[in-house]
Amino acid sequence: MPGSSDMNGPLPTSGEPGPDMSRVRPYLLTSGRAQPVDESLEIEAQVATSTQGATSPSDLTFEHRDIVELCRTTMSVVEIAALLRLHIGVARVLVADLAALGYVVVRRPAAALGQDLGMIERVIRGLESIR
Amino acid sequence: MRRTPTPVKIVIAGGFGVGKTTAVGAISEMKPLRTEAAMTTAGAEVDKSNLTPAKTTTTVALDFGCITIDDEVKLYLFGTPGQDRFGFMWRDIVHGALGALVIVDTRRIDDCYPAVDYFEKADLPFVVAVNLFDGVLSHHMEDVRWALAVGQHVPLITFDARDKLSVRDALLAVLHNTIRVQSGAVGAAPGN
Repeated sequence: MPGSSDMNGPLPTSGEPGPDMSRVRPYLLTSGRAQPVDESLEIEAQVATSTQGATSPSDLTFEHRDIVELCRTTMSVVEIAALLRLHIGVARVLVADLAALGYVVVRRPAAALGQDLGMIERVIRGLESIR
Repeated sequence: MRRTPTPVKIVIAGGFGVGKTTAVGAISEMKPLRTEAAMTTAGAEVDKSNLTPAKTTTTVALDFGCITIDDEVKLYLFGTPGQDRFGFMWRDIVHGALGALVIVDTRRIDDCYPAVDYFEKADLPFVVAVNLFDGVLSHHMEDVRWALAVGQHVPLITFDARDKLSVRDALLAVLHNTIRVQSGAVGAAPGN
């Protein structure tokens, strides 16, 4: 079950202390999975805490809980990564976990957005209003 | 349920110190954020045989900001160092982008080659923008175009990465170029 509490267990690599913990940490956080649960999750996808996520999650790990707290204000995967100082790949995994649990909802960009002329014109109008 | 905005993005690329983060910061509603992506997060998806060895643990900084376009659309600006060895992350950044701005420092034109190459291969419409450090253009624009080896179909502009409205105009140039390319005005004409 993703998000189970054993993710807070002792460090598997505690037998080899070293200065390189920052490179070990991503694997610990994601229970050894280097691949995101949903590896195609876009870095700009919007993440918002659900009602369920806002009320229940005392059973979550620290990292999951941080995201649930943070995403009471909707933000992107890449913002979560930056604000919580996570690697982007890790943030993706954690967000995907939380989405699977129903604690966050994710809004992904529409497919082929780059070809959507209507959207591009809308962004042009928005930029033109900047003074 | 609350509405969540639709995210769209523009990529801002160029060599180190060319003004990417300055440009993002000049127009972003929030102070630009920096995050890191690790080579290790994307290793399994590599399908090109000539890429870097699996043991690489390089991380690369990604600076970004955002602009609220309207109630439903949020524009993200991703400033990324255009380095071949970071190609794995480029795919993430470039996928679905509305277009790209390649920033050039005319004193170090070579630095933007990888970005130009990448966007050409990825078929992402892009505009080349010479950042006017000190407000001075030290080369003729056609010399810059020649040095970059980009065709006449690639718009070449000047801008000041420190100036909000100048950055806005550069982003508008990117979007207008994308529309032009998507509308087929550039087409697949043979040669230049």
